[in-house]
Amino acid sequence: MQSSRSRLRLAAGVGICALLMSACSAVDTASSDEADAGGEGTSDPITIGVSLPLTGDFSEPGKGVQRGYEAWVKIVNDSGGLLGRQVELKVLDDQSNADRVVADYESLIAQDKVDLVFGPFSTRLVVPSARVAKEYGMLFVEPAGAAAEVFEQGFDNLFYAAPAVANDHYNYLAEHILAMPEGERPKTVAYAAMDDPFAQGTAYGLKDKLEAGGIKTVADEVYPPNTTDFSSIAAKIADANADMLVGGSQYQDAVNLIVALQQLDYQPKMAAFSTAPTNPEFSKAIGDKTEGILSPTGYTTAADYPSNVEFVEKYTEQFGNPPSEDEANAYTTGQVVAAAVKAVGCAEQGDCQQKLIDWLRGNTVDTVVGPLSWDEAGRPQAAHLIQQYVDRKIQIVLPEDQKEADFLYPKPAW
Amino acid sequence: MRSASDPASLRAARWGLLAVAAALVFTFPVLAPNAYILSAGVVVANYAVLATSWNFMGGFTGYISLGHAAYFGLGAYGTGLLVTKADVPSFLALVLSGAIVAVLAVPIGIAALRVRGASFVIVSIALVLILLLVFQSWSSFTGGSNGLNVPRPFPDLLRPEHHLVFYYLFAGLLCLALLTWWAVDRSRFGMGLKAIREDEDKAQSLGVPTFLYKLVAFVVSATFTALGGGLYALWFGDLDPIFQFSILVGSYMVLMALLGGIRNLFGPLVGAVIVGSALEYFKLEFGDTQFHLVAAGLLLALVVLFMPDGVLPFIGDQLRRLGPGQSSIREVSAGELLEQNASRGDLPGQGDGVEGRAAPAPSEVTR
Amino acid sequence: MTSPHLVFQSLVLGVLLGGLYALLAAGLTLYFGVMRVVMIAHSAFLILAAYLAWWFHDRTGIDPLLSLAVTVPLFFVAGVLMQRLLIRRLSPVTLTMMSVLLTFAIALVIEGLLGYVFSGTQRRVQLGYSGSSFEVLGARVAVVKLIAFGLAVVALLGLYLLLKRSRLGQALRATIQHRDAAALVGIDTDRVAGYGFGLGLATAAVGGTALALDSTIYPSLHWHWIGPLMAIIVVGGLGSVPGAAIAAMALGILQSLLQLEMGTTWAQTVFYVALFATLMVRPQGFFGGRLAQRF
Repeated sequence: MQSSRSRLRLAAGVGICALLMSACSAVDTASSDEADAGGEGTSDPITIGVSLPLTGDFSEPGKGVQRGYEAWVKIVNDSGGLLGRQVELKVLDDQSNADRVVADYESLIAQDKVDLVFGPFSTRLVVPSARVAKEYGMLFVEPAGAAAEVFEQGFDNLFYAAPAVANDHYNYLAEHILAMPEGERPKTVAYAAMDDPFAQGTAYGLKDKLEAGGIKTVADEVYPPNTTDFSSIAAKIADANADMLVGGSQYQDAVNLIVALQQLDYQPKMAAFSTAPTNPEFSKAIGDKTEGILSPTGYTTAADYPSNVEFVEKYTEQFGNPPSEDEANAYTTGQVVAAAVKAVGCAEQGDCQQKLIDWLRGNTVDTVVGPLSWDEAGRPQAAHLIQQYVDRKIQIVLPEDQKEADFLYPKPAW
Repeated sequence: MRSASDPASLRAARWGLLAVAAALVFTFPVLAPNAYILSAGVVVANYAVLATSWNFMGGFTGYISLGHAAYFGLGAYGTGLLVTKADVPSFLALVLSGAIVAVLAVPIGIAALRVRGASFVIVSIALVLILLLVFQSWSSFTGGSNGLNVPRPFPDLLRPEHHLVFYYLFAGLLCLALLTWWAVDRSRFGMGLKAIREDEDKAQSLGVPTFLYKLVAFVVSATFTALGGGLYALWFGDLDPIFQFSILVGSYMVLMALLGGIRNLFGPLVGAVIVGSALEYFKLEFGDTQFHLVAAGLLLALVVLFMPDGVLPFIGDQLRRLGPGQSSIREVSAGELLEQNASRGDLPGQGDGVEGRAAPAPSEVTR
Repeated sequence: MTSPHLVFQSLVLGVLLGGLYALLAAGLTLYFGVMRVVMIAHSAFLILAAYLAWWFHDRTGIDPLLSLAVTVPLFFVAGVLMQRLLIRRLSPVTLTMMSVLLTFAIALVIEGLLGYVFSGTQRRVQLGYSGSSFEVLGARVAVVKLIAFGLAVVALLGLYLLLKRSRLGQALRATIQHRDAAALVGIDTDRVAGYGFGLGLATAAVGGTALALDSTIYPSLHWHWIGPLMAIIVVGGLGSVPGAAIAAMALGILQSLLQLEMGTTWAQTVFYVALFATLMVRPQGFFGGRLAQRF
């Protein structure tokens, strides 16, 4: 009994020590906070907090977004900063984890007292982090939460910095297909979508429109994000032998699915995948059998918006290769926030944030993806372009007035 | 009997320390300089609840479950679904979901406790993985990968106040769990459970209703874990199957309990404070790498290899070796004795040791 | 709705998948047989081997199959060392429970290091013949899948011959069946257990290379494998190598066929349903003998 008592005493002792230590560390951070806050002046840099998935499931696009933010910071600082102040980025890694992303934004806003926040990557992480930002009254412009439900949570502080929400990505393609003569257009479609709000949103947005136009769905497969073996899904799609294949994909899953379909020798007349084909690695990954593959994109390096010319040139200088969509969306986020900051003339926590929000509600911002404006829920009011691999290069084919190449149909064999 | 071990002064010192500890726990929100530190405190309190709940099973019976995240997730989703789908008031939903998990834990426990050792661990892991699949696939009900948004119980509170309220709620739940543990520890039931931990077959032959005892401990453990999960759902607000049914969460519970010491009332709590702070530290230091996994793995390996009884007994041993207050009565578990004997004598005792512990009576398997 | 052609195609895919499961489950069974250790890190080593194959191919451009010449001996040595230096240190009384935690810790460390060195990016070996296939009775068989299956079959056969024909195999089987009796007849059971671990890890090396041929890999992928593998060894009967192989094949085929009706996610549950059903009906597994009953 005595020994168990001394153990108890010991337990209490260690517990107290642990608590004391944590309390001490808390006090430490508090004092350093005050030191930071003490020297408030106009020459201080504007700090921008952002949490990104640098490790885990979304690390690939997460790093793209990070490059886009870094390019924006460099370009802004090289031209004299915002409101005459330099801009500083504080990036935390959320490990693609919703718990972490919330803790990250909480620490950025409440502890580091950042002046502004930018959004993270992926719908799954945008919703919880937007809620934190909302509860602290922060403006929340985000580069990646395109799925419908992001805009159905009643966020009044959220703006999506890209041309269109996920369900509208394929709008030009749907119009184009439905405008084809009855005899020529695909009659059956197979859908395969990752179990992810964004990826599913793109595929099902197109599905709704095509079904309404009388085009039959013959296969509709959903796979979990961590799927690595696509042979069974591919077998079902190949067996349905649809005229057209639509993939609601991120990157690697599209590559896997295409390889698995090649193994089964399935040849659709039209194939569209979201996100993946715009990745520079894509054509190498599927062995240069890309000809005719379609993809929606919110961004093209070829767009002649003035800021885009500068962005492409300076980005390429900084990173050695031209930007892709993730980088561009991140850059757009920076542009949107910068436009609001310049117009309102402030960048700090507090009342300023509401002014920024109100300004964005009522104005249009010129960005690298064109002029953007938003509805009351933060949905952008523009459209995605449709690209296709033509002559081994990914080129704009829709809409007609922006096309770089003619729409290729039917797709050559892969 | 020296003055240090004089019962009266010992008891006074113990109560004094407890009072100081309790005071610290309750003043932490005042000391916390900002909402972020406070929210980190809520996370640690949540960990402490989970680790203590885990210890009802792991500590008393020695059955190590790597899958307690299953009950955490069920409690969280149960609460969330009751609130969103059935419009049950938040805290009633919490209690109901605890009750539901308790009921569910009975058949699960009956299946899992038919086997010992390795198979029990496998079952516990499988349970998490199967629930992850179900909650991801059954999206019409659970929201699937779109997640489930649980409305706040107090919508009018600002975020820092929200953290404050939930800090105290978690602390309250922790007190409840600790009190229950303490009561069980002193009861006849607790003695029976500890007998199972030390030697299940001997316990059975001495007339301990081992299966029933294990089942009750299992259900209590699952229920407290579920309550922790439910409270987490109300606090955090966003549920996603990948994060609720995560093997990593389950393994953190084991790490915390083991690190603190599974035989101690406060072991899991101390473990939770250490691991919770360490995770936060690794995150800050090595934020953009996977290094936190390496650190967690190394810590677990070190504990398993060198301090299988946890930090508290380890430090206790060191102190006792230094100090003169050697107590006259030993408390050694049957396992430790066996081990000492095995290492002393050079007999091929390894195999014996394994069998002596793990071989169930035939009736156990076929029941 | 489901055409016979598709069913046959799925059956073929299921067999190809089952072969890989069988090889990996055989490794898990070995560890359990010789040491009563549930080796959670098995699938982490599997992914490690896959990464090494990918990295080898990426750096040299040589076919990843050749990386086996390095990884198999390397993993064998790693297995022996792991048993000698880590597992043996554990107290025999709590070996089963503590070894689960220790190997779990090893899995975390491997995952963390993989993420640290190679980042969390998904990787895939790109071979000239990735998309090639040929037709067998109306079903398409991918070349890479057939190679992976062939590897698994060869490795399993080798393991079988080793266990049945060699002296080490006899010693291993004796240790698996009754460790103390084996020690009494003069077998150095400790050393044999080390070799058992080495062999188990070597199967992970072969399996990982086979996996890398036709699948994306990322550091946390091992969680995806450990569940099904655990279920397989329980259904097969802990400690029974043929039992594990048969269960692996059966469940692999079942999973592939169920995907037709239920979709990929629900089809994965077949492993766990089989696991719980086994525990309810026959807790010692369907092929396990005396050994399985005791654990």
